[in-house]
Amino acid sequence: MKKGLALTGILCWLSLALAVSADTIQKLGDGSDGSRAVPVHLLGLYDESGASIAANDDRAQPFSMRQTCRLCHTYESIGRGRHFNYTDPNVACGRTGQPWILVDAATRTQIPVSYRSWPGTYRPEQLGVSPFKFVELFGRHLPGGGAGELDSNIPEEGIRQLISGKLEINCLACHNANPGQDQAEYAGQVTRENFRWAITASCGFASVSGSAAAQPDTYDPLMSDAIKVAYRRNAFDFRNRVLFNIVRKAPAERCYFCHSNLNLDGNDSERWTQDEDVHLSAGLTCVDCHRNGLEHNIVRGYEGEDRVSKNPLASTSTCEGCHLGTGSSAAPAEGRLGAPRPKHPGIPPIHFDKLTCTACHSGLWPGEQACRTKTSRAHGLGTYNVNKSADALPHVLTPVFARGADGKITPHKLFWPAFWGVVKDANVGPVGLEAARRAVGQALGEERAPRSGDWLPLTREQIGKVLSAMATEESVEGKPVYICGGKLYRLDGAGNVLENEHGAAKPCLWPIAHEVRPASQSLGVRNCQDCHATDAPFFFGKVAVDCPVGRQAQSVKTMVDFEQLKPFYVKAFAMSFVFRPWLKLVILGSCAGLAGVLVLYALRALASVVKVLSEENSRGKTKE
Amino acid sequence: MFRTVSIIVFLATIAAIALHDVASRLRLPAGRRRPVNILKGLVYLLTLLFLEQRLTLLGRLKKLVYLLALLCFVVLAITGFYPVLILGKHISGYLLMIHVTAGGVFAACLVILALTWAHSHRFNETDWPWLASLVRRELQKHRLIPESSELLRKVCFWLLVIAALPLMLSVVLSMFPLFDTAWQHLLADTHRYSTLAFAVVAIIHTYLMIGTATSR
Repeated sequence: MKKGLALTGILCWLSLALAVSADTIQKLGDGSDGSRAVPVHLLGLYDESGASIAANDDRAQPFSMRQTCRLCHTYESIGRGRHFNYTDPNVACGRTGQPWILVDAATRTQIPVSYRSWPGTYRPEQLGVSPFKFVELFGRHLPGGGAGELDSNIPEEGIRQLISGKLEINCLACHNANPGQDQAEYAGQVTRENFRWAITASCGFASVSGSAAAQPDTYDPLMSDAIKVAYRRNAFDFRNRVLFNIVRKAPAERCYFCHSNLNLDGNDSERWTQDEDVHLSAGLTCVDCHRNGLEHNIVRGYEGEDRVSKNPLASTSTCEGCHLGTGSSAAPAEGRLGAPRPKHPGIPPIHFDKLTCTACHSGLWPGEQACRTKTSRAHGLGTYNVNKSADALPHVLTPVFARGADGKITPHKLFWPAFWGVVKDANVGPVGLEAARRAVGQALGEERAPRSGDWLPLTREQIGKVLSAMATEESVEGKPVYICGGKLYRLDGAGNVLENEHGAAKPCLWPIAHEVRPASQSLGVRNCQDCHATDAPFFFGKVAVDCPVGRQAQSVKTMVDFEQLKPFYVKAFAMSFVFRPWLKLVILGSCAGLAGVLVLYALRALASVVKVLSEENSRGKTKE
Repeated sequence: MFRTVSIIVFLATIAAIALHDVASRLRLPAGRRRPVNILKGLVYLLTLLFLEQRLTLLGRLKKLVYLLALLCFVVLAITGFYPVLILGKHISGYLLMIHVTAGGVFAACLVILALTWAHSHRFNETDWPWLASLVRRELQKHRLIPESSELLRKVCFWLLVIAALPLMLSVVLSMFPLFDTAWQHLLADTHRYSTLAFAVVAIIHTYLMIGTATSR
């Protein structure tokens, strides 16, 4: 008995020790030997059970990135990288980034959701969105991992997850330089809940047919051909290995799939009419600045990132880091990657305390009104059947100059949250999307959303009806409200709809860094009045308050509201620039006058000295 | 740095003026000594009694310009030094707007004062008897220090004119797209320190003018 216990104990210890060492052992691809050459990735494929995949398999399974790559790379270490760690509550969320925007036209909802605790965003579970659902909604622009690999704790979803599999980290999404890498196909597969097939379907040498979402709960992927994988036979060599065109530096086109912007600025609303970021035009790629090691803790590149990031380059991979060399290194650090040192002639240094570099150099040149913009992640750009209409929700506006968390004015993207919520303990939170759909359906009946993807109009009366319907919903705990256009709508005791501005209805903003314009197109390059004019868009540009309610009488805000400045002060300051040339003239004239007086009397003093000396000479001569 | 330097310099100036005042009173015979009368000094300052009270057109103009310059100086000193000395930050906002507006008027006043006062503040032989003696090799026959504060007042006047140049040039040049950020910092520092020098000399000059007038 004792021997048995001892043996069991030893076995347990051994298995634990082996597990720990397996995680800490450095694998072939975990560290660099220093060679800048890219290793050839001629690899055997493995499915998620670790079984080898051959070209002539009868019932071919999709290959697993985890199983295929983990032979040389520590998959778990990569999984802690910035693109995958968003569900980990222990990870510092850093500066606010673009949240995911959950759009539901029927319920007039556009709401920012994020697993990161950024201000103004809501956690997916607050809307009844489980990690499984989250991946289904947004996995199209996720590189896998994170929520894609979480086990669902909802029994029904657990069954579906057995069918769809997990959305593993898709190394190929970024590192596959093969032009056949098809992220649109990946997005399509994710939408069909083909999570375990998505990577295979998009890799360029395989195709996948069928949909996990359409399969019954009893579906067994190992026993059925309803979802079928077909590998291109000539992709395999005689040892059943496949050549992956893996590159260390992800090409910009790969980044673009998730990080594209399309500004809908009047005539320049086509991709080909808009310039790329000046850094890319100069020959750099995204990852020249946004660098990472194996742990994939990629540099975001904002000022102060080094306070929350362990990436050693976080302090130097900022605008200042390259252009000014503000790192603590003893060696000269400026001019990295050929970055020119900015001169900023005539710009008072106080600007650098009050503005970020991006305020003058990034995004669109500000116009009278912030324009609509589309982003890959918000609008599904690059995916099949994307709505190309300029009116498609969500309505994101840019550039909006607002004060950031560091107190500096920086250009942002903005949208106005709209959602059905509840007031509970004086806090406003969203109700579950399903509950909102039921209440809207019950109160407003079936409606047809416009093909443009724009808002379905909503009247105050309709809001009242929906709020009344929501009050009868069992799942809604608290006083139901509707948030949109910066306002909170609620019912009073008599059933009237009341509205007031509310903190929970504030717009959702996130700072932008790209596209960076060349110095010759930066704000202030012409004169001070690029910003300091009485009608300069930098301070007085309009920002539409977007809302499905009363769309005809759409209200606007001005930039100063977001810059937390007083309009009178800004106007008065701008007015002073009208008289600035006069001031220069007066001061220069005064300087000339003073210099004239000084020169005149200096000459007179010199004349006196000469006179005295002459007198002395003549006196000396007289004596002689 | 500038904050510390400013505080030290202003305290030293006030201390020096106080010492000078006490010393000049102690130099007087016991019967002629009068108690310190700050109120009288203030009256002289605010009513410009220490100026020549001629009522010619030019005299009136000079007085008016001086009054305006004095007012602008006070405004500039408060708006310029208050944020630095009290709040510990650089001038900005409404204070900056007032400062810039007053600065333009002050510059115009300063040049008028320089033009109208320069002649009366020119140095002559009586200001430098020791120099003349030195030139004539008769040093031992003369005292080195002139008796009145006239010389110091003249020196202050010319120092004001000299200090005003970097003060104004540094600020006006920074408004043109000529100098990069490092130079902008240098110009700002030049403006700060020349302002400090100007303010100290202006205080001493005013004190001497009031002192001369009250002693008359």
